[in-house]
Formats: sequence, structure tokens, C-alpha cells
Amino acid sequence: MTEQEALIREAIAAEAAEAVDSRAVRAALSARQSRRRPLALLSATVLTAAAVATAVVLAPSSPTRTEKLEAAAPIEPRTVLLAGLDDTGRTDSVVLARVGLDGSVDAVSLPRDSWVDIPGRGAGKLNSAYVAGEVGEPQDLVRTVEAVTGAHVDHYATVDLAAVAAVSTVVGGVEVCLTAAASDDLSGANLPAGRSTVSGDQALAFLRQRHGLPNGDLDRVVRQQVFLRSLTAKLLDPAVLRDPDRVAAVLDALGTGVRTDPAWNLLAFVSTLTPNAGITTATVPHGPATDVGNVVALPLDPAAVRAFVAGFLSDAPHAPDQPGPPSDGCVN
Amino acid sequence: MRDGYDQFVADRLDRLLRYATALTCDKHLAQDIVQDVLVRARSRWGRIGVLDAPYLYVRRMVTNEYLSWRRRRARRDVSTTHATLDELSPAVPDPAVRHAERDAMRARIAVLPHKQRAALVLRYYEDATTTEIGQVLGCTEGTVRSHLSRALHTLRVNETSPSEVLR
Repeated sequence: MTEQEALIREAIAAEAAEAVDSRAVRAALSARQSRRRPLALLSATVLTAAAVATAVVLAPSSPTRTEKLEAAAPIEPRTVLLAGLDDTGRTDSVVLARVGLDGSVDAVSLPRDSWVDIPGRGAGKLNSAYVAGEVGEPQDLVRTVEAVTGAHVDHYATVDLAAVAAVSTVVGGVEVCLTAAASDDLSGANLPAGRSTVSGDQALAFLRQRHGLPNGDLDRVVRQQVFLRSLTAKLLDPAVLRDPDRVAAVLDALGTGVRTDPAWNLLAFVSTLTPNAGITTATVPHGPATDVGNVVALPLDPAAVRAFVAGFLSDAPHAPDQPGPPSDGCVN
Repeated sequence: MRDGYDQFVADRLDRLLRYATALTCDKHLAQDIVQDVLVRARSRWGRIGVLDAPYLYVRRMVTNEYLSWRRRRARRDVSTTHATLDELSPAVPDPAVRHAERDAMRARIAVLPHKQRAALVLRYYEDATTTEIGQVLGCTEGTVRSHLSRALHTLRVNETSPSEVLR
């Protein structure tokens, strides 16, 4: 062993010796154990939470079925912010969702290229408010969305698109349909026209590609919607939901891919969702892509956005969905 | 089944925490990771407990958890590590030169790319073979050798200036 290797060993051993007292960890572990619910219920609930969170994040435009859960908590209206992150930690999709008194969900998307005021930093694209590990904290995105929409956000969560793609692998792939073959070096997308089943890298590429699509990011949003509807249906299939090994594999694939603010009990939140209550989606009104000084962004009219969000997220009945993807499910 | 898990925690928790601390250079992050991994391992203990080497499986879970945390925590990791190290390694008199060198090495290891650091800790703390490291990191032995040689090269290059100052 060289002198350098000896020094490396000493240095690593010294670092390791900084470890916290294992008694504290054991106490924390048994505390978590004592609050544990029966495993099957817990797994099913977490899985459903993940499925609903991902489904809501990516704003499916048709009602989503959820498994009936035991012991629904008292319902309280809640407004939550959900952000889908790409592999560089950028927020590619931002959705403000409100769970109403009847357990139904209204979800309004804010395009990532929206030109907004980022409190404390000035004007910028929405996806520059928070870049995981690089710029700011999720709270910066929360404050930005609160400022532009006038809504109060109770809780937030972020979801990695890579984790969503990993889950698709666990369930044996997700069927998608393209109007034209896709071949894009940037995302790695290489898919035939028509129906195909994607998982892993190709699922991620399908979710990420926006270059080479007729409507760019807006086509990508539609892709994410159809993908998530298929994936959610697969996850909620009893054959998956009742198989502990598959559930464990899904949880493993999700890993740390779904994160909430510390105060948000996602399980309790999901238990307030009513099966078949449905999710209504919309996008905030925005202008056409405009050059706003070196960047192309979507201009927003703050008063119009506030009025729209206030109406859409209220308990009063409101207009149904904006047009979703075509009925044959084939997308650009 | 529960007994097996509890026994595993009793036997291995210390070692896992030390391994995770060496890996992350952040004892609190290490604690979070080990706790999360053990909670997940418990729910699957029926399958993990019957493996030949449950420790190796759980160690891989810890490593993967760390590598997936890295993007979000990288910047904070480095800054807190440096702050801590500045406190830990003030200017030292002659008999403590070895300690100073060791702490300087810790600082250099703390800023290595994360896969290189993981490979280094597995080799020099866990005494894992190149094959075992490849299994943990999910890469080929060639890649492991390249991680290790790049790490050693970086540590050697960087070593020159601080060590000369200390001597």
C-alpha cells in the first residue's frame, strides 16, 4: 500500500467516525415502526399517492380512477403546487391543483415558458424560479406562482420525470401512439409511427422530447398527459396493486423521485380524494410566444390569470376541460 | 422474519451509518439515507433476509440512495463540508502534521465527483473488490478502474500544494 493510499484510508476512516450515534437512529426507526399501518394498506396508499401525484402533476385531461381507500379523513379544501422536474432539475411542468369539498380535483397548468415576476429576482421564465440543486428552493416557485395567480398554496410536491419513466419499466412498459416516427438526438427519442410500448430510456425520451415537434413544448405536454393516463391505469390495475413484489419494485423505482414539503402528509391528502370524483384540467390564459429581450416566452396578463384561476379553483361549477389530446390517443 | 430484521439492524446499523457518512461527508444526510433505506428494507425483509449477504444488498441500496440524492444536495454538501472542515482543521503545530494532512485529504475527497468518491470509499473503507464495486455502482469493472484511477490522480495532483505548505 502506498503512502497516499494509507492517507486516503485514514481520511475516510476519520470521515466515517463522524457518524451520528446509532442509538438515535434506532429510536427513530422504532418510532416509525410503531406508527406503521398494515403493510399492504400502506403500500397501496403510497402507490396510489404516487400515481395520483404524478397524474395530477402532468395534468391528465380526463377523470382518473383511484382505488377506494379506507378511513377517509375529514375533507378540507387544499390548494397544492405540483412540479415535474427534468434530469437537470428544471421544472418542466407546473400545476396548481385544488381538492374541493367533494374530493374532486381542479388542476390548472402554467406553461413553463410563462413570462412572470419572480419575487426578489425580477422578470423571468417560470421554469427559472426554481432549478433543483442549482437555483433557489421549491418555495421560490411557490411564491412565484402565488404572486402570478393570486392563489394561496398550502403544500407543494416535486416529481422527477426519470422516476416516472422508471416506474413504467416496472409495470412492463406503457403503450403510446405517435402520428409520425420520432428521431431526436437531444432526448434520445427513437420511436416508430403508430403504437409502441415504451419503458426506461425510451419512455423518458418520449416524455422529454420537444425538439422536432410541430408545437414544441406544447406537444410535449400532451405527450406527458397521454403517457401518465396509461401509466396510472397500469398502476391502479389490481394485478399490480395487490402484488407486494410489484409494489415494492414501484416504490424502489420512485426512490426519492417524489418529494413534498415537510408539513404535507401525502397519505392523508390522498385519502381525501374521492374515487371517480374526477380531475378537471385547464391551462392559464397566455399570449403567443413572443421575444421578450433575448428569450422567447409566453406573456401573461396578470389580471386575466388571477380572474381565471380564482374562477377555476372555486367550488362553483365551471366550464369543462379545454380540448385534450385526440380521441385515438395518437400524438405528435 | 421480524427477529431477523431486528438482528440485522443491531449488528449492522453502526457500520451502515459509518459507511454512509464516509460516502456523503455529511452525517445528517447519512442518517436520513440509512433510515429511509432501512424502512424500505424492512418491508421487503422476507426477500432480503434470505440472501447470502443481506449487508451487501442493503449497502447497495444506501449507495444508490446517495447517488440519487447527489444532484439536489451537491452544492449544499460541499459548502457545509468546507465550513465543517475549516473548523476541524485549524493551523496545527508540528506533532499534528499527520492529522492536518489527513484532514486536507478529507477535504479533497469531499469534492470528488460522487461516483468516484463512492468507488474510493468502497475500495478503501469497505475493502470491496473491483467486481463488487461494479455491482454496487451498476457499471463495468473497466469503469470502476477508471473512477478509481481518476480519483487517485486528482488526489495526487491536488496533494502537492497543501502538503508542501504543511511540510
